[in-house]
Amino acid sequence: MAEIRNFTLNFGPQHPSAHGVLRLVLEMDGEQIMRADPHVGLLHRGTEKLAETKPYNQSIGYMDRLDYVSMMCSEHGYVLAIEKLLGIEAPIRALYIRTMFDEVTRILNHLMWLGTHALDIGAMTVFLYCFREREDLMDCYEAVSGARMHATYYRPGGVYRDLPDNMPRYEEKASKWHSEAEIRRRNDARHGSLLDFLENFCERFDKYVEEYETLLTDNRIWKQRTVGIAVVSPYRAKQLGFTGPMLRGSGIAWDLRKKQTYAAYDQVEFDIPVGRNGDTYDRYLVRMEEMRQSNRIVKQCIAWLRRNPGPVMIDDPKVAPPKRDQMKQEMESLIHHFKLFSEGYCPPPGEVYAAVEAPKGEFGVYLVSDGANKPYRMKIRAPGFPHLAAMDEMVRGHMLSDVTAVIGTMDIVFGEIDR
Amino acid sequence: MINAVKNYIGSLFLFELFKGLGVTGRYLFARKFTVQYPEEKAPVSPRFRGLHALRRYPNGEERCISCKLCEAVCPALAITIEAEPRADGSRRTTKYEIDLFKCIYCGFCEESCPVDSIVLSRVYEYCMEENGERLIGKERLLELGDKHEAQLATDRAEQAKYR
Amino acid sequence: MTDETLVTIEVDGRELKARPGAMLIEVTDAAGINIPRFCYHKKLSVSANCRMCLVEVEKAPKPMPACATPVANGMKVKTRSPTALAAQKGTLEFLLINHPLDCPICDQGGECELQDVAMGYGAGVSRYIEKKRVVSDPDIGPLVATDMTRCIHCTRCVRFGAEIAGIREMGATGRGEHMKIGTYIQSSVDSELSGNIIDLCPVGALTSKPYRFQARAWELTQSDAVGPHDAVGSNLYLHVRRDKVMRVAPRGNEAVNECWISDRDRFSYEALESTARLKRPLVKENGKWRELPWDEALDLAAGMLKGAGAGLKTLISPSATLEELYLAQKLTRGLGSSHIDHRLRQGDFRNDASPALRWLGMPIAEIERLDVAVVVGGNPRKDQPLIGHRLRKAAMAGASITYINPCKFDLNYGADQQVESPAGMVKRLAGLAKAIGVTGELVANAVVDDQCKALAGQLKNAGKAAIFLGNIANAHPDLAVLETLAGRIATATNAFFGFLQEGANAVGAQLAGAAPHRLPGGKAAETQGKNARRMLSDKIEGALLIGADPALDCWDPSAVRQSFSNAKDVVALTAFRTRSLESCANLMLPIGWFAESSGTLVNGQGDWQTFAGAVSPIGEARPAWKVLRVLGNLTDVEGFDYQNSAEVLNEVRAACEGVSLDNAIGEGCLDVQFKEGPLTRIGYVPLYAADVAVRHAPSLQRTANAADSALLRVNGATARIYALSSGAPISVCQGNGEAQLMVCIDEGIASDCALVPAGLAATGGLGPMFGEITLEKD
Repeated sequence: MAEIRNFTLNFGPQHPSAHGVLRLVLEMDGEQIMRADPHVGLLHRGTEKLAETKPYNQSIGYMDRLDYVSMMCSEHGYVLAIEKLLGIEAPIRALYIRTMFDEVTRILNHLMWLGTHALDIGAMTVFLYCFREREDLMDCYEAVSGARMHATYYRPGGVYRDLPDNMPRYEEKASKWHSEAEIRRRNDARHGSLLDFLENFCERFDKYVEEYETLLTDNRIWKQRTVGIAVVSPYRAKQLGFTGPMLRGSGIAWDLRKKQTYAAYDQVEFDIPVGRNGDTYDRYLVRMEEMRQSNRIVKQCIAWLRRNPGPVMIDDPKVAPPKRDQMKQEMESLIHHFKLFSEGYCPPPGEVYAAVEAPKGEFGVYLVSDGANKPYRMKIRAPGFPHLAAMDEMVRGHMLSDVTAVIGTMDIVFGEIDR
Repeated sequence: MINAVKNYIGSLFLFELFKGLGVTGRYLFARKFTVQYPEEKAPVSPRFRGLHALRRYPNGEERCISCKLCEAVCPALAITIEAEPRADGSRRTTKYEIDLFKCIYCGFCEESCPVDSIVLSRVYEYCMEENGERLIGKERLLELGDKHEAQLATDRAEQAKYR
Repeated sequence: MTDETLVTIEVDGRELKARPGAMLIEVTDAAGINIPRFCYHKKLSVSANCRMCLVEVEKAPKPMPACATPVANGMKVKTRSPTALAAQKGTLEFLLINHPLDCPICDQGGECELQDVAMGYGAGVSRYIEKKRVVSDPDIGPLVATDMTRCIHCTRCVRFGAEIAGIREMGATGRGEHMKIGTYIQSSVDSELSGNIIDLCPVGALTSKPYRFQARAWELTQSDAVGPHDAVGSNLYLHVRRDKVMRVAPRGNEAVNECWISDRDRFSYEALESTARLKRPLVKENGKWRELPWDEALDLAAGMLKGAGAGLKTLISPSATLEELYLAQKLTRGLGSSHIDHRLRQGDFRNDASPALRWLGMPIAEIERLDVAVVVGGNPRKDQPLIGHRLRKAAMAGASITYINPCKFDLNYGADQQVESPAGMVKRLAGLAKAIGVTGELVANAVVDDQCKALAGQLKNAGKAAIFLGNIANAHPDLAVLETLAGRIATATNAFFGFLQEGANAVGAQLAGAAPHRLPGGKAAETQGKNARRMLSDKIEGALLIGADPALDCWDPSAVRQSFSNAKDVVALTAFRTRSLESCANLMLPIGWFAESSGTLVNGQGDWQTFAGAVSPIGEARPAWKVLRVLGNLTDVEGFDYQNSAEVLNEVRAACEGVSLDNAIGEGCLDVQFKEGPLTRIGYVPLYAADVAVRHAPSLQRTANAADSALLRVNGATARIYALSSGAPISVCQGNGEAQLMVCIDEGIASDCALVPAGLAATGGLGPMFGEITLEKD
């Protein structure tokens, strides 16, 4: 008689729906998963240790590269920790800019998640639409920071530069593909400032979300693939350390933007969507609603920012470098510029934890200062890590094909998990 | 009861699927928004952080005074500078090298430069064929600066009010 | 000090005990309370002119400078109160008014006290928009670069010149806005300690010239080292970037070098990158040098050493590390030879039996507490600059210092300089011995004059006295007699008796047994080999040279030339490729020097100071101890299986267990052997010719100290006898050697003597450092 035993399957690290470099060792009983063992670390870059070897500000750019689809939110967590350590607060306009870009980032992240999640499950079209919208938002990133992804825009004490008054435009010249008039039409939204451009996007965006929902929400295949898949009870979700949409999908209304408010979130109106069943479908619905809510917040920020010009960086020469014209003319400013860029600032000894509601959940940075110009210890709490840790529990008993749905619903990005 | 009947009929006639096909069908005939690179190019912000360049003063003198702030502030340790007194006694670099593979394009070097010498240009179309090309030296950087000076100067002037 | 004599003050709410009369800033510094300052320096007098250290003192009407406010019982001080901070901020704003916007091009940037204080205590923005002043920069020599516009008039350099270097080289002229720091006349700063003003200057006004624009403070990693040139063994920091020593800075050690170092220790690192560095093994074939790989070179060297066998003669530099010295003697003795010596410039070896282990005779820090000091044949100011500095401190505190030398030296304090011809030095010392009451044949016949009597009186009545024998005495052909007499005088007067020896590790060399008559631990050797002078008195077949350049480092260059003329098996372990070495050696193996090798140096007071290598050796060079270890293996000598230099050190340490340094003269030699001719040479090694490394340090060689060394110095009377005029070229003949020098009339030279430097290429053809010479005019 033939021996019957479980079959072990390596899922990833090159599998396209492993979302990066996840290696999942699956123990299968036929099509059914008996055990899932996620292996992490293939994208480990030692960010925490790297940050402990350089002055505080120099690590901002590395935060972008943790969760590389929600860049500015990770920056936000880091600069918030430094600000807490230094005991400073950014000017109100900077707080609004941060709020606005956090939400832009959330939309960027959710669009990326939606596109790939749908693609994994079999809906190709949404992916293309999502990337179209991302393009506009990345233009905003570029206009404000100079980089389309890794912005390095937030600084302890504010943001690097104020929002630009002009948006870059397409060169109005006919090509072999488009006439001049067609290209001019592309520039329609680009004649005003960044805020005008973003407002134009916000007005369109609700309609886009509508379209995605038309394609997916009622779609029977979509529902068959998501409803009742990877159900997490509210109790287990809390026990497993879930945050963000993963927790809210299980029906717990926990959102740091409301519960431990930061930036200008206490000044804007928005709702926290929650799921009911804690399955993949509910988490999908929660994220879709979050995009609408984010859009609502961005609109409010745009309105406020239009009315309230002002500084975007704290007026503290011991932390924030001076303006360039001052630096070139004044001794004090030059010295501060020189020292801040070579040595940085030295926060008082102590330890802080600061967290933000990143698109994936609670992104926290724990900093220990010994009074030197670089952190004595830095620890990053990446939201994706506890989510991935629940992989075994979530896929056990499901089919192999559901693994991609579960990976998708977790919204995994290995930059932050492996750090 | 009525709802159940509605649902049944809706699902029997694949109503939600046709609605989705309606969306995709509309886009099939809508105006395309694709930018046909490389004949057409996406707009680039004056803040764009692309390939590095070293600038000169209008009189042709190189700006860099070898203060090494960019080297100090570079998180990726991509910049290597060596300096010594030039014949006229001024402080100048003998080597200014950027490793493009190490660089993370954070723009700190440009922020730190007290004389607006090292800048990140709008250039994003560059490639390397051999490994050694990732190291770009002072001469190449000055060349890039000379080539793009007009654009660099306009962008810096435009951005001056924000910095 | 007992508790009752201390006063109690309160600083920022903390209660502190203080010595009455101490300045506030000393107390706060000791307690770790930071007060900003520019002009205050613990080793310099208080000038209180920068006003940066203003603090609030209760009941005082206005803020007081902490550096010039003596503590008083019950004083309440606030260093961070609003009044104090406002005063500090105001002071700093004034200091910055005239400071140029130089940070990006200033070498001090990143380690600048002005920057640090501005960050910590200054305002963030400037209110000053008027023009700044500009000051011209004087050229003060090849070591220190000046940017006087950056000066904030703290006057530390001025006070250093007056109080430490002992020459008023720099000064402040003008007042207020027009005050300038500069040299009085357009001249260079020539002190042998001048480099210290680089460290003292809180801003970038005085910076190191060789280091100019080379590196930033934040690029450097710091490692410990020990001064490789003299018996002080100054504690150093090496500042290294990308495997290259960028500069050298002092490491504070009150027992050795305080916070100073000599220019020689500070700038000789340049020799590490000298073009004369030997980078690959070289072999001489048919008079031509050929590069060869290490394995071949080592085999060849082992063959040569084995071939020489019991006839092997080893000359090793007294500045080599303890490990190198030990391995060199182990290798030499293992090959059956006992001919090894480090005393290359010693003129007389008759006192080999005792003293057992020559050393300084007292702790370096104690020198400044002496009441009377007698230096016989030596100029510590230039030869061991920091011992010179300690002597100066003693003199400043009222000690009377006497020099018995064949010439007068330029001293930076008042001292009794008794000038005698070489033979006269022996007589004078004998006279002094007689005046003190020492007995003996030589002494009995001595003439006692008033000077002798006065000095004898000083020595007898002194609380703390010392007699030192210096470098000139070391090269003296009657060294044994000088030693015996000085030792007897010291014993009779209960004075310290010490040797200011050449090289950085002369004490270590004796402990390692790198001498023909001593085994490791300083034990007397059963089979005595030939000493450095005797080795060179006959033809050499096989020799091992380690770090030594015999023609320039030995007592008698002409003997070197003759003895090495037909040598076939001469292996030289050397860091530098010099012409004189090329003429001696047949095989040169490149070794690391100073920062390139780990090792231990034992300084004059007997401190074993171990350091690690900071950079990798240049080219294919290897640390000398490793080369010696491999040579030991290849020549099948037992016990050469060391894995690291610490194992070698432990072996030396074990051999030296319980051994103490001992200057006691036993029997003592009192036979005068040196006969003066009509014109006697006084050989003296100039400051920047002391060893092969210093001779290859370009900036040191450009200093005024190095520039005036190739001169024949005679006094006016002698010049008249030979019809010499100052500045005229002259040929000096000694034995069959000749040298071309310029005449310099110097009234400080003893009559019928001529000071002819040694250790220079210009005089490398002459004979012994002391001897008869003749002059020929061209």
